[in-house]
Amino acid sequence: MVEQTPVQVFRSQEKMGRFTSPAFYLKIAILAAFIITPFLFPSFKSLDLVLKIMIFAVLVASFDILLGYTGILSFGHVMFFGIGAYSVALLLGKFGEPTYAFLFLGFVIAILVTTALALLISFLSLRVKAIFFAMVTLAIAEFAIILATKLSSFTGGEDGIIMSTPGIFKVSFNMGSFMGVDITGRVITYYFILVICLILFMLMARFIQSPLGRVMQAIRDNEPRAEALGYKTFVFKATSICFGCLVSTIVGGLYVMWVGYANPESVLGVPIMLDVLLMVIIGGMGTLYGALAGAAFLRLAYTFLPDLQSLAQDLLPNLHFVHTMMERWLLIFGILFILVVFFFPKGIIGTIQNYLKTRKAV
Amino acid sequence: MSESIIKNHSRELTIAAAIALYLLPLLGMDMTTYLTLTIAGVAMGMMIFLVASGMSLIFGLMDVINFAHGVCFAWGAYVAFSVFNYFDKLVAADSLLANFMVFLIAVAAAVIVVGIVGIIMERVLIRKVYGSHLFQILITFGGMVVLRELIRIIWGPNDEVMPIPLKFQGNWNIFDIIILKYPIYAILLGLMVFIIIQMVLKRTKLGKIVRAGVENPDMVQAMGHNIFLMFTGVFAVGTALAAIGGLAMAIFSVQVYPDMGDAYLIFAFIVVIIGGLGSITGSLVGALIVGLSYNYVAYLLPPLAVGVNILIMVIILLIKPTGLFAAGK
Repeated sequence: MVEQTPVQVFRSQEKMGRFTSPAFYLKIAILAAFIITPFLFPSFKSLDLVLKIMIFAVLVASFDILLGYTGILSFGHVMFFGIGAYSVALLLGKFGEPTYAFLFLGFVIAILVTTALALLISFLSLRVKAIFFAMVTLAIAEFAIILATKLSSFTGGEDGIIMSTPGIFKVSFNMGSFMGVDITGRVITYYFILVICLILFMLMARFIQSPLGRVMQAIRDNEPRAEALGYKTFVFKATSICFGCLVSTIVGGLYVMWVGYANPESVLGVPIMLDVLLMVIIGGMGTLYGALAGAAFLRLAYTFLPDLQSLAQDLLPNLHFVHTMMERWLLIFGILFILVVFFFPKGIIGTIQNYLKTRKAV
Repeated sequence: MSESIIKNHSRELTIAAAIALYLLPLLGMDMTTYLTLTIAGVAMGMMIFLVASGMSLIFGLMDVINFAHGVCFAWGAYVAFSVFNYFDKLVAADSLLANFMVFLIAVAAAVIVVGIVGIIMERVLIRKVYGSHLFQILITFGGMVVLRELIRIIWGPNDEVMPIPLKFQGNWNIFDIIILKYPIYAILLGLMVFIIIQMVLKRTKLGKIVRAGVENPDMVQAMGHNIFLMFTGVFAVGTALAAIGGLAMAIFSVQVYPDMGDAYLIFAFIVVIIGGLGSITGSLVGALIVGLSYNYVAYLLPPLAVGVNILIMVIILLIKPTGLFAAGK
C-alpha cells in the first residue's frame, strides 16, 4: 500500500465527512428556505427581499473570488453587473415584443463583452502593479457610468430602460394555483433565478476547490513564491478576473429580469459598489458562504432601517442631531465599514470558522 | 546616424512631438478659441496637479494609495466656501489687496483644517494598516464615505454657489483675445506650489530625508530619523495640497457640492498613472496632459471628454507601464 501524503489524508477525511457535517445540513436548510419562501411568504415585498439577498450573495461571492481568493481589488465589478443588466434590458426593451431568443442573446452578448473587457483590463493593469488594478478599474467604472448617462438615445440616460420579460417570465402570466399560491410569472422567475444562482454558486465553490483555485490562493498568500514555483501568476489572475466578472454579468442579467428596469443608479452606481464591498467585508473575505451572510445582513438592514429610523424619531423627538445622523445612514455604514475592517477583518463567517478551529484544537 | 540623433535628442524630440500634438486641435477651431481653451486647460491641469501631487507624494513615501483624497479636495472647497461667506465684505471689496487677502486666508484655513483632518486620518486609520495595500484601500475608502457624509452634515447636502472675490471675476482683453482673470491666478498658484514643493524636496534637509525615504524607508529609519513622524507630516501635506486644489477648483467652477471630489479623484488616478507614482514632475506633466486634452476634446467632441483621458492612460500603460517619470523626481 502506498503511503498517502498529508494532503491526500486530509482530502479523504474531508470526503468522508462531507455528508455528515453540520455545515452540510446548514447549507441544505438554507437552500430549502429559499425554495419554500414563495409558499410561506407570498407577498411581493418578502419575495423581493429574499431574491435580492440571493442575487447579491452570488454577486458578492463572485467579487470574493477576486478579492478574497486571488487578492485583487476591483472597483469595476459592479460595472460588469451593469453590463449584464444593460445588455439584457436593451435587447428585451428596445426591439419590440420580448422573446426568449432576445433574452438568450442578451446573456450571450453580455458574456462576450465582459470577457473582452475583463481581458483588456487585466492585460493593461496587471502587468505593472496589483495596486494599479484598483485605480484603473475605478476610472473605467466611472467612465461606464458617464457613458450610460450621456448616451441617452441608446441607454435611456438617467431614466434607464424599462422592459418586460417574455413568455412564462411575464408578470401577468398565471399557471393556476399550487398549494394555495398562484404560480405567476413572478414565482417562475424566482425559481428560474434561484436555479441559475445555485448553479453559479456551486460552480464557484467547485472553482475555488480546483487546482486552479488553489493556485490563486497561493498567489494571494505569496505571489513571488507562487511565481518561483513555476506558475504564470498573470495567467491565473486573468483567469480569476474573467471568471468572477462572468458570474457578475450573468447575475446582472438575472437582476434586471426581476426588477424590470436598468438605470445607471440601480445597476452601475457607486452605492452598489459600496454595498458589495460592505457585504464581502461583513461576511468575511475568502469565505464563499460569507457572501450569503453579508448580503443577508445588509439587505435585511436596508429593509428594516427605515422602521428603526421612525422608531428613533418616536423615542427621541427632540434630538435633532440623532435625526440628522439617521438620515445620513451612509455615515453609519462608513463607520461600520471601518470598524469591521479593523476589528473583524475576517467577517462573520471567518470569525466563526476561526472560533470553531481553535475550539477543535483545544 | 539617424538612430543616434533619436537617441541623443530623444528628450527634445518627445517634447517637440508633444507640442505638435497639442497644436493639432487648431485644425478644428480658430485661434482665439484655441487660446481660451488652452488657458482653461492649463488652469484645470494645475488644479489636478495639486490633487495628484499630494497623492503621488503620499504614495511615493508611504506606499499608500489614498482613496479619500478626492474628499479632501471637497473639504478644501467647503472650508474656503465658509471663509468667503464669513469675510463677505472682503470678498465684495473692490480692491485687489483685500481680495488677495481673503484668498490667502481661505488657502491658510483650508490647509490647516484639511491638514488636521489628514493627521487624524493617518494616525487613526492608516497607521494600523501599513504594508497591506488591500486594507489601505478599504480603510481609505471607508474614510472617504465618512468624510463625505460629514460634509453633508456640516454644510448640507445641496449644491451651493461659491462666492468669488470681485477682482477675480472678469477678464482682460489683449489684442481682441479675451483672457479670463481667474485661470491665470490659478496657474500662478499651481506653479508656485510646484516650485515650493521642488525647492523643499531638493534644497532642504527635510526634503533630502523625504526623498531618501521614498527610496528606502528602512534605511532612513536606521539612520535615526523618525519615519513615522514624517509619514504623518507628508500625509498632512498631501491632503492639504488636495485642499488647495479643491478651493481653486471651487472658485473656477463657481460651485461646491459634496461629491465634487469624485471626478477629481479619478483625474488624479489617471495623472499619477500617466506621470508615474511618486513623481512630482510627472504629476505636473500628467496633469497638464489631462487638463489640456479634456478641454480640447470637450469642445470638439463633448461626449468623449472623459474617455480621452482614459484612452491616454491606456496608451501610456501600454508603452511605458511605470509612467513617464521615475519616483522621487
